[in-house]
Amino acid sequence: MSVIVNPNDKLIGLVDGNNFYVSCERVFRPDLIGKPVAVLSNNDGCLVSRSQEIKDLGIKMGVPAFQIQHLVKQHHIHLLSSNYSLYADLSARMMSVLETFTPTVEVYSIDEAFLDFTDVYACRQDPIAYAKQIKETVQRQVGIPVCVGLGPTKTLAKLANFAAKKWQQTGGVLNLSDQTRREKLMKIVPVDDVWGIGRQLSKQLNPLGIYTVWDLAQQSPQKMQQRFSVVMARTIMELNGISCLDLETIVPDKQQIVCSRSFSRKLTTLQELSPAMAEFACRASEKLRQQHSVTGCATAFLRTNPFAEHEPQYQRAASQKLHYPSQDSRIIAGIVQQLLKEIYRPGYSYQKCGVQLSQIQSHTAPEQLDLFDSQQTLESPQLMQTLDQINRRFPKGIAIATTKIDQTWKPKAENLSQRYTTDWRELVTVYCH
Amino acid sequence: MPVFPFKINTSDDVLCLSPAIAVFKPAQRPVKYRLPLFAGKVSAGFPSPAADYVDKTLDLNDLLVQKPAATFFVRAQGESMLGAGIHPNDILVVDRSLKPMSGKIVICALNGELTVKRLVFDNQQWKLRAENPVYPDFMLTDELELVVWGVVTNVIHAL
Repeated sequence: MSVIVNPNDKLIGLVDGNNFYVSCERVFRPDLIGKPVAVLSNNDGCLVSRSQEIKDLGIKMGVPAFQIQHLVKQHHIHLLSSNYSLYADLSARMMSVLETFTPTVEVYSIDEAFLDFTDVYACRQDPIAYAKQIKETVQRQVGIPVCVGLGPTKTLAKLANFAAKKWQQTGGVLNLSDQTRREKLMKIVPVDDVWGIGRQLSKQLNPLGIYTVWDLAQQSPQKMQQRFSVVMARTIMELNGISCLDLETIVPDKQQIVCSRSFSRKLTTLQELSPAMAEFACRASEKLRQQHSVTGCATAFLRTNPFAEHEPQYQRAASQKLHYPSQDSRIIAGIVQQLLKEIYRPGYSYQKCGVQLSQIQSHTAPEQLDLFDSQQTLESPQLMQTLDQINRRFPKGIAIATTKIDQTWKPKAENLSQRYTTDWRELVTVYCH
Repeated sequence: MPVFPFKINTSDDVLCLSPAIAVFKPAQRPVKYRLPLFAGKVSAGFPSPAADYVDKTLDLNDLLVQKPAATFFVRAQGESMLGAGIHPNDILVVDRSLKPMSGKIVICALNGELTVKRLVFDNQQWKLRAENPVYPDFMLTDELELVVWGVVTNVIHAL
């Protein structure tokens, strides 16, 4: 049977890494292939990525690690701390491989990207063969298994990807350009699996007799827009093959940068909090410089553990506008220390603190210099550039002194793998024996 | 991206954060006087005759890395590949985009370990050959599914 494709239809793909974090770990740990592996969130808290073997054991996403301790022993589960340097690097590699298949790529998250194949002749000719080639190339070159979903809209591509992941018979590749196939699938997929619907919305849809994706696709977009929102109307149109969402290929710079962590132990004194705050300020400034931006406003916040109900609770935040937008670690860290002194109250056990930078704008030509402003005298883009260069070659090589006073607050990462791809000292070992 | 844990109300020149807030206002911005500034470099004298011949500088990446997305660096341990010039502690450049062919030095996963060997097709038989007479060849049988991790393209050896 040949599929008749309207030449005006778009052809959108969604490529998504399978169990991305676990797959990243397995690239350098072939011994973990076929074994139950999960990656934990910051501070070794909850499961954020699960291998198929873990899913088969019925262990749910987001479960706290301590709740499955008995299963860990019983099934020899490998629980790993999250190694974001590794995941970010492999993600960038995956995206750059995807760019060889179409010039139009929207990096949607660390492990998924939308690709526009509308004008890619080879893909139009044989979408499945092209998608398989993508899957094989990413697997071979980067080592990450992916699934590819295709469809005339982003929402359908996402649905196709969902189905390709769920049903092994697809071989990890599915095209939903064909209407009959689309109808068949939509009738068996619950509505909460549609991109943007989720469990909360589906609770409101079920009383209206909408249980499957097909039920939703049959609704009138206008009526549903009145009842819900324009987003809902768009979703319905997209499910019917009418493209309403374009690919966003230009990544906007982040408008807010937040750096915060939960502590491995409770901190009570200003002396303990200060190094953590200084580190967050430096990291936030570094991120700011990476996107060539400056910030106009810095915020410091801290809080106690909201789950420790018997302990006194306190949370507070404060902000300060900068005289001149800056990206200098020293200036930002200095302001954050002042803010910390303002919001800190003795007598509480703090569990988390952090820094937020806002009013971010791109770093263009400096404004007219002000002869008498001390902040500007201190400001040194060259120094910051040098600092970043040194730290790229020798990670954490240079830091503001405050950050090194006390590092015992650092979140737990007891099972952290090496930074195989971003640090010369941590390369994977290959054996000649 | 983590969600900022506090509600933010933006007023004109300060951010107010709930619930109890300390707000700091910066000192009034001083009045600015705009003065003309000479932009650009003013050069004098004879222009350099070499200016037209400036090439880019040599970059080792051009020599060692063909496909950055597929290239990984790994560190060798052990002496079975001495004959191929791979010494303990050397850094190997591995290109995962290359097809593993007979005669190539490859990295493969053997018993859950990343191993370096030369891949050879000899006498109708695929094998993994060590480059050191002390180490035996490893025969590849049909039932064994060998996953080649990547093809080694260069050795970086410190003297």
